[in-house]
Amino acid sequence: MRLPIRVVFDQRGEAPKRLTALVPIVSVLAALFFGAIFLLATGYSPIDTYTNMFSDGFASSRGVTDTLALSTVLICTGIAAAFAFQMNIYNIGGEGQLYLGMIGGAWAGITLGDHLPSLIMVPLVLIFGALAGALWIFVPAFVRSRLGTSEIVSTLLLTYVASSLIDYVIYTPDSFFRNPNTSFPQGRLVSASAKLQSFGDTRLYPTIFVAIILAVVLYWVVKRTEFGYRINVIADSPKAAHYAGINAKRTTMSVMLISGALAGLGGAMLIVGPYGKIEPSIVNLGYGYAGIVIAALARNNLAAIVVSGILFAGLRVGGEKLQISTDTPIHIGVMLQGAILLFALGGEAFRRYKIRVVLVRAVTT
Amino acid sequence: MNDTSHEVAQGSHHLGGVAPTALSAHNIVKRFPGVLANDNVDFDVRAGEVHTLLGENGAGKSTLAAILCGLYQPDSGYLLRNGKPMHLSSPRAGLQHGIAMVHQHFRLVDRFTVSENVILGSRDLGFRLNRKEINEQVAAVAESFGLPIDPNAVVGELSVGQRQRVEIVKALYQGAEILLLDEPTAVLVPAEVEKLFDNVHSMTKAGKSIVFISHKLGEVVEISDRVTVLRNGRVTGHVSGKGTTDTRELARLMVGRDIELNAQRATHPIGHEVLQIRNLSLSINEVEVLSDVSFNIHAGEMVGIAGVAGNGQRELADTIAGLISPASGSITISGAMTTDRGPIQAREVGLAYVPEDRLGMGLVPSMSILDNLLLTRDRKVIVDRTSIRPEASRLIDQFEIKANGPDHLARKLSGGNAQKVLLARELSGGRSATKLLVVCSPTRGLDVGAIETVRSLLNDARSAGQAILLISEDLDEVMSLADRILVLYRGAVVHETPGATASLSTVGAAMAGLLENGGV
Ligand SMILES: Nc1ncnc2c1ncn2[C@@H]1O[C@H](COP(=O)(O)OP(=O)(O)OP(=O)(O)O)[C@@H](O)[C@H]1O
Ligand SMILES: [Mg+2]
Repeated sequence: MRLPIRVVFDQRGEAPKRLTALVPIVSVLAALFFGAIFLLATGYSPIDTYTNMFSDGFASSRGVTDTLALSTVLICTGIAAAFAFQMNIYNIGGEGQLYLGMIGGAWAGITLGDHLPSLIMVPLVLIFGALAGALWIFVPAFVRSRLGTSEIVSTLLLTYVASSLIDYVIYTPDSFFRNPNTSFPQGRLVSASAKLQSFGDTRLYPTIFVAIILAVVLYWVVKRTEFGYRINVIADSPKAAHYAGINAKRTTMSVMLISGALAGLGGAMLIVGPYGKIEPSIVNLGYGYAGIVIAALARNNLAAIVVSGILFAGLRVGGEKLQISTDTPIHIGVMLQGAILLFALGGEAFRRYKIRVVLVRAVTT
Repeated sequence: MNDTSHEVAQGSHHLGGVAPTALSAHNIVKRFPGVLANDNVDFDVRAGEVHTLLGENGAGKSTLAAILCGLYQPDSGYLLRNGKPMHLSSPRAGLQHGIAMVHQHFRLVDRFTVSENVILGSRDLGFRLNRKEINEQVAAVAESFGLPIDPNAVVGELSVGQRQRVEIVKALYQGAEILLLDEPTAVLVPAEVEKLFDNVHSMTKAGKSIVFISHKLGEVVEISDRVTVLRNGRVTGHVSGKGTTDTRELARLMVGRDIELNAQRATHPIGHEVLQIRNLSLSINEVEVLSDVSFNIHAGEMVGIAGVAGNGQRELADTIAGLISPASGSITISGAMTTDRGPIQAREVGLAYVPEDRLGMGLVPSMSILDNLLLTRDRKVIVDRTSIRPEASRLIDQFEIKANGPDHLARKLSGGNAQKVLLARELSGGRSATKLLVVCSPTRGLDVGAIETVRSLLNDARSAGQAILLISEDLDEVMSLADRILVLYRGAVVHETPGATASLSTVGAAMAGLLENGGV
């Protein structure tokens, strides 16, 4: 038997501009609504929960600095994802590249020693983190650009490898990255000069400026430079790129390496910032995956990622605080994250199609 | 060819009277940012007739057709179907009223088979597809209108003419009573056009209505029962009754002046050798597409390549432009060997190339006119858009491109205006002064006025000492412009003749492969 209802998708001749701006906003609201149903069903007040979340994430001074602190890494993974997505390359392994960034950064921070001043040491850690992230995507980038092998599968699989690698370097007894002074498995601290000072008694580090500036600079690169021009041509029409003598292989390779480096940089920012060492719990935080959602929410607009990254960080910070201060179900923040992605992607369908639900007379088949 | 559709329109359905109006549009207004694409347009089509929309590039024909099928909604005005008001919110709504459009750019999925494409978007299929049954249905629909096609063929492997047939079969399968054909013949070779017209006749005979759009005036005269002329979005003329008009009159109605299409072959000195091709051979997927091609072109000379589509013309052009590496042979452009050196190298020694495929290869649809002008130029590390802006505006004026300015997106241009942008870029020189110009179907989809402009531009380029390779399926064009004509058949040059003394019948025979060992 068939339902007497049909959902009809009518393609729009032209997507209205208004909708383009509306979709991200509506998808966040829809996700909150979805979360509200869940909260109600489990016996909590959505209004109270959201009010608390909002004040914890955005309205208190502690909340604001925590949100900005978290947004630092999320902006990095967000631009990492969007930079590849805009060329229709789906690097969904930002998570793994982020882990490698931590490892690379920690290695530099430990090995290069105390004799270097902070002014040199911190950038070195960041650079090594970025290099490690790029290294982690090198093989997927190579096979994608030469042979056209799907980067979706390869980058995702390497994330599992990266996750095991984090476990390995922390839990192996004599590991270089393991703190030799504690019996409890912990990361070894980087030298003091590799660490930045946070602002006052907040958890916010100057790396936030690096992340924001990077987003804006990359936005400019895509809009204004020859490299960005090539990206735009290839994204829209590989045939036109071939016609114009644009080397798609090389551009694909560069874009993927940059994407990996950005995610790696996010990992290294955790080293010079809050952690100062490899933190094995990183594998449970999903900062890399969050970048995918943030990119989708910003519709791959690199500058807009600053906004969607901060918004997203606020939701998570609010959600986490909630867990500590009240008995609201844990992971409401993570659930909202998933819901936002779904609604943002679904919203894309609204932008392209008019969707109607129609009644049909029962058909006997 | 001129069979009885006119008679049928008046006869078989409604004895003695004029067939009823199937679809009409009243006071249609459609505005895009900066242009009034349709300005108070009235239009109607009767059952069983062919009603042609004629007009310059950007006159608003495709826009009107898009409104008639529900793809665009008019800003004001209304539609009547069999006299009853209807509102079309989407192409699907149009289909429900029996209206379907075959677009200027096809909308098929290359990887799907013919019948998969045909049923794509059809409702009421249920979850499981009965492939065999559907194949039979598709074949039956196709057969009944004389459109034989293999339902299992993969669309990506079909010729352009066959793909168009799939689009038409799809429309018919979905129950279309009114078919809107937007420049269907622009992509067809003469034999395919004839076939299409036969199909049109069998459709009108079955009482279906056709809205036809074309720039080829000869065809328009041949097929139309009525003609409506659009200009700058307004209706400026009507012609009715088959055979009551001629192409000259239509041209005047369209552009408001007399058009002289038979551009004179200007007399001019022929200079040194610019392009030299030696023993060029090429295979793609183990099929030989070019075999031992040798010829040369001198400065100030235009060589025309005639041939039925698919005999290696496109590959020849792509190879000269450095996009494909030949299996053997050599290409030299003004003394520099460019075989295997890539497109940029070829351009640096003076190549300009207008490919056959415009939106997608020659132009990047999502980019502005300005950015598209930069596609084949030297762009610097930080793209310098400011200094090229005045030139972009100048080219828009010079080529009479209907656009809001240099920032107009290529995909929002009308078909003919997109071609003009491509021509403007390639004719205006890029990385270096143009010495060799390779043009494929340069006037396809252009209105008569624009064709005149383009042909005289080609002539000017020749007079200025450029060497030109003109590849066109339009035999008249090649015959009237080229100094020398080569005929390509199955990848080989089978005939060569001076343009001035070329005979249509010999060239035609060579194109059909009847001269395989003659010529050269
Ligand atoms: N989606 C769009 N957005 C903005 N302008 C548009 C759009 N589509 C068409 N136009 C403009 O509307 C005008 C009419 O375009 P249309 O495509 O109807 O012309 P046409 O008569 O079909 O021309 P051609 O013979 O070149 O195909 C043109 O000036 C074109 O630039
Ligand atoms: Mg058109």
